[in-house]
Amino acid sequence: MTTPTKNIRNFSIIAHIDHGKSTLADQFLLKTGAITQREFRAQVLDDMDLERERGITIQMHPVTIYYEFQGQRYELNLIDTPGHVDFSYEVSRSLAACEGAILLVDAFQGVQAQTVANFYLALEHDLTIVPVLNKIDMPIARTDDVLAEMQQALNVEPAEALRASGKAGIGIDEVLQAIVARIPPPPGKPDDPLRALVFNSHFDSYKGVVVYARVMDGTMRKVQKIRLMSGGTELEVIDMGQFRPTMTACNELGAGQVGYFMAQIKNIDDVRIGDTVTDALAPAAAPLEGYKEPQPMVFSGLYPVNNRDFEALREALAKLRLNDSSFTYMPENSEGLGFGFRCGFLGLLHREIIQQRLERDSELELVQTAPNTTYEILTRKGEIIVIDSPQKVPDAGQVEEFREPFVKISFLLPSENIGDLMQMCAERRGIFIRTEYLSPKRAILVYEMPLSEIIFDLYDKLKSVTHGYGTMDYEILGYRPADLVRLDILVAGKRVDALSIIVHRADADRRGRKLVKKLRGEIDRHLFEIAIQAAIGSRIIARETIAPIKKNVTAKCYGGDITRKRKLWAKQAAGKKRMKQVGQVEIPQEAFLAVLESDEG
Amino acid sequence: MPPWLHPRAAYVHVPFCAHHCGYCDFAVTAGQDQLMTLYVEALGQELATLSEPCPVDTVFIGGGTPTYLTPPLLERLLAEIRRWLPLHASGEWSIEATPESLDAGKVALLADHGVTRVSIGAQSFHPQLLQRLERIHNPDDVPRAVECVRERIAQVSLDLIFGVPGQSVDDWDRDLRRALRLQPEHVATYGLTYEKGTPLWKRWQGGQVQPLGEDDELAMYCRAMDVLSAAGFEHYEVSNFARPGRRCRHNQVYWANHAYFGFGVGAARYVQGRREMNTRDTHGYIRRVFAGEKPLLQAEELPPEERARETLALQLRRADGVRRGEFQEQTGFDLDALAGAKLRQHAELGLIEDNGACVRLTRSGKCVADALMAELL
Ligand SMILES: Nc1nc2c(ncn2[C@@H]2O[C@H](COP(=O)(O)OP(=O)(O)OP(=O)(O)O)[C@@H](O)[C@H]2O)c(=O)[nH]1
Ligand code: SF4
Ligand SMILES: [Mg+2]
Repeated sequence: MTTPTKNIRNFSIIAHIDHGKSTLADQFLLKTGAITQREFRAQVLDDMDLERERGITIQMHPVTIYYEFQGQRYELNLIDTPGHVDFSYEVSRSLAACEGAILLVDAFQGVQAQTVANFYLALEHDLTIVPVLNKIDMPIARTDDVLAEMQQALNVEPAEALRASGKAGIGIDEVLQAIVARIPPPPGKPDDPLRALVFNSHFDSYKGVVVYARVMDGTMRKVQKIRLMSGGTELEVIDMGQFRPTMTACNELGAGQVGYFMAQIKNIDDVRIGDTVTDALAPAAAPLEGYKEPQPMVFSGLYPVNNRDFEALREALAKLRLNDSSFTYMPENSEGLGFGFRCGFLGLLHREIIQQRLERDSELELVQTAPNTTYEILTRKGEIIVIDSPQKVPDAGQVEEFREPFVKISFLLPSENIGDLMQMCAERRGIFIRTEYLSPKRAILVYEMPLSEIIFDLYDKLKSVTHGYGTMDYEILGYRPADLVRLDILVAGKRVDALSIIVHRADADRRGRKLVKKLRGEIDRHLFEIAIQAAIGSRIIARETIAPIKKNVTAKCYGGDITRKRKLWAKQAAGKKRMKQVGQVEIPQEAFLAVLESDEG
Repeated sequence: MPPWLHPRAAYVHVPFCAHHCGYCDFAVTAGQDQLMTLYVEALGQELATLSEPCPVDTVFIGGGTPTYLTPPLLERLLAEIRRWLPLHASGEWSIEATPESLDAGKVALLADHGVTRVSIGAQSFHPQLLQRLERIHNPDDVPRAVECVRERIAQVSLDLIFGVPGQSVDDWDRDLRRALRLQPEHVATYGLTYEKGTPLWKRWQGGQVQPLGEDDELAMYCRAMDVLSAAGFEHYEVSNFARPGRRCRHNQVYWANHAYFGFGVGAARYVQGRREMNTRDTHGYIRRVFAGEKPLLQAEELPPEERARETLALQLRRADGVRRGEFQEQTGFDLDALAGAKLRQHAELGLIEDNGACVRLTRSGKCVADALMAELL
C-alpha cells in the first residue's frame, strides 16, 4: 500500500547515549497503535539479546507508524539509532534515508559530546532538525540551563525546542505534530525510474538476507526484476514489506517509503550498504550518492587455546559476520599462538560485543591479544601498505615513513576539570585545537590525537577526571606521520610475536619497562629462570626476570598419598587450560592483555 | 609373580590419637576411645578376608597413634597381624609411636611379637614449636621414649618437621643436632604443609598464620641434607635419611610403585594394578566391615601409560632413581619414548642426572621434586 509522498515523513531519532531515544520511540509506537499496551515493554525496539542485557541500542531500528493529524493520515518512517560512538556509522546510514531528525537532549545531563557530533552529522545531510528537551519529568531537570547550552552549542532558539518525557509520556503529541509540520515530505519523483537506497541489511536464518531500503524515486514491486547498480547484479524481489515494527509484507513501496525486501541473496557481502537499487528493465541513469562503509580501525588477534579448534572458530566467526558486516576477520599465524584470526572492529565496545557473542554462541576457549589500531607505512620503495598487526611491521630499514590514524576528539566537561583534562591530553600527544564555553560551568574542548592514545582507556580516564560528568566523541581525520617503532617482547630469549606493540619512540622506554614488569606478574614461576625483555630491533630496552621455583616439595609421599598427589597435579594441569605454551614457557591469557592496563603505577 | 602386582608388604592403620594435632589430615579419631575394642575387632575381620595367611617381607603399622591402644588391644592387634600376615624371618616390622605413648610395657609387647622398628614422631625439640603444632608431648619425652625402645628393639626412626611458622633455620639446625644425639638409625624430615580443611589451613586462610617463605624452607631442607649426610646418613628418598643398611624397606615399596596390602580405616592398597582406599570414617569402617561389606572409599585402575608415568614420578623420588631396564620391565614402556624430551630439559636445567642406565634427581632437583613430577605426569 503506497502513501502519497506528501503524507510521508522520514526521520531518525538521534542523541547522546542514554538520552532516551528508544524510550521516546516506545511512546510513538504506543500513541499510534503500532503496538498495544499488552505488547509493550521498555525499549521495545532493542530486540537483540545484548541490547536488552546492556540496556543500550547497538543497531539502528527502522519502524513505520501511522499518525492521524488534522484529518490526514501520515506515514512516519522513524529510525531509532544507537548513541555510542563505536556505532556512529549506524547513525550516518540512518540519516541518509531521512529528511529530518529528532535531536534529544537529556534535561539533566544537557548537551553532551554525541549530541554535538550527531547534530553536525544531521546538518551535513541537510536534514531538518527538531530539537527536543527530553526527560523533563525528572525533578533534577535543569531546563533553563540546558536550553541555554543548546542555544550556545547548537544554535537552537529556546522557543524552537519542544519539551517531552518519553518515560512519563509528556509532550508526545506535540513532538509528533512538529514532525508533520516541520519536516518536509520526501522530495522523490514517483514517475521516475526506480531508485532505492540500501541502508542496512541483516541475516535471517529462514528468510536469508533481508535488505533495508528507502525508495527515493519510482516504485519497487514484488516480483520486479531489480538491479544493484554498483555491481550490476540482477535479482528478483521475492518478498517485501515494512517494519511495523515486526516485518509486515506488502506488494509495493512507493517514492519516499521505507521498508525491506528479500531477493534470494545468500551472503550479506553480496549487498553493499549504500548501493542503489533500480529497475532492471527500466534502469535509472545514475545511482544515488550512497556512502562509504566504515573501515575497522581497531584490530586484535583471536586464537583458539587448542589449535584443533581453528576451524570451529572460523565457522563461529562466519556465522557472526552474517549479521554484522562491519567487523572483519582474516586468518593469521603467530609463532607463539599458532593459527588464529586477525579481527577488525569499529571500536572497543564493538570488540567487546563481538567477543561476547562469540563466547556465547560457541563454546570455544579463546585467547585474545591486545587491540591495536591500523597503521600506514610508506616503504623505501615508495609503496604504501596498511597494516593491522604489529607483527606485520617491516624491518626498520625498509620503512621510509610510519603513519598512524589521527582523530579529532571533542570533550564536553565541567569547566573545573579542564586543567586535568588538558594535562591528560598532553601526556597522550594531543594537539589542542580550541575551547568553547557552553555556559560558565561547561565547556567543549577539541583536540587532535592519535587514535592509539584513545582506544584503550581514555574514556575511563575521562570519567574519573570528571567524576562521571565528561563525555567524548571522535572522528577519524586520516593518517599522519609519526616517529613510531615496534616494541618486541622476548620471553626466555624467544620473541613472542603476539606481544609486540607499536609505540611512539619517545614513549618506548617507559612502555617497555612497564610491560615487562606487568608480564613478570602474570607469568607463573617455572623450574628455570625466565628473562622477559623488551626490545626495539636488536636493542634491549628493559628486562625483568622471573626467578625459578627453588623449593616445591611437599615432602611425604606414602601409599595413601599417591592417588591424592596425582589428582592434585591433574588439577594444577587443568588450571593451565587458558595458557599458551611458547617454547618452554606457559603464558596465561592475561599476559596477552597486559598492554591494555592503564598507565598507573 | 612380579612384586609390582603381587604384594609382599602390608600396611595396617590405627586411627586413634590422644589429641588431634592442628596440621594433621591423616585418618585420625580423637576422643572416641570407646571405639577401640570394636575397631580392633573389625580390623581382625578385615584381615580375615584374606582367607588364608599371606606371607610378607614388611609390615607397617601406622596411624593415628597405634601405640595409643591399651596393652590388651595392642596385643590383640599384633596377634591378628601375625596370624594373617606372617613375616619372613628376615622381615621388617615397623610401628609408629608418639613419644608420650611409649612405656617399657608396651615396648616389651611389641618386641615379643616381633616388631623390629619404631618410628617416633618427635617433630621438634622446641617447646613453642611443639605447641604451635599442637603436639601434646614435651621435648624430654623423646629421649625417654628412645631409651625405652632401645632396651628391646634395634631400629629407631625419628620424624622431624620443618617450615613451622616462626621457626628459624637455627632452630631447625638445633632440632637436627638434638635428634642426632639420640643416635637414630633413620630420620624423616617433613616440610609442614597446609592441608585443606585442617585447623592449620583455616588459620592460614583466615590470615592468622603466615607460612614461612620459600627461601627459609629451602635453607632448612638444605640444612637437613648437609647435617644428616655429614653424620653418615644416606638421603635415600626426598624426605628420608638412613644409616647404611637401615633404610625403611616398607616405604621403599611405595616409591618403587610395587604392590602392597592395606587394612584399617583410610588405608590404601595396591594389588594387581588396582588402587583402593578404605573409608576414612572410623564408624563407617566398623559398620561396613561387620556388615560383611568392603569398606571402600574409592578404587581406580590406571591405563598402562598413566601407570608408567606414575611409576616414573615415584621412582624419581629415590636416590637410586629410575633404572631404564627395570622400568621397561615393570611398566612395558621405554623411559625415553615416554618422557625423553622432558627429562632432557630437566637434565639441562641441572635438576636430574642421567648416566645412561639410570636417571636420578640432583640436589637442586630434590628441592623442586613436586613441581618436576607434576610435569612428568
Ligand atoms: N526520568 C526519565 N527517564 C528516562 C526518560 N527516557 C528515558 N529514560 C531512562 O533513560 C535510560 C536510557 O533510555 P533509552 O531509551 O534506552 O536511551 P537511548 O538514548 O535509547 O540509549 P542508547 O540507545 O544506548 O543510546 C533508561 O533508563 C530510561 O528508563 C524520561 O523521559 N524520563
Ligand atoms: S599424633 Fe600424629 S596422627 Fe595423631 S593427630 Fe597428631 S599428627 Fe595426626
Ligand atoms: Mg536506544
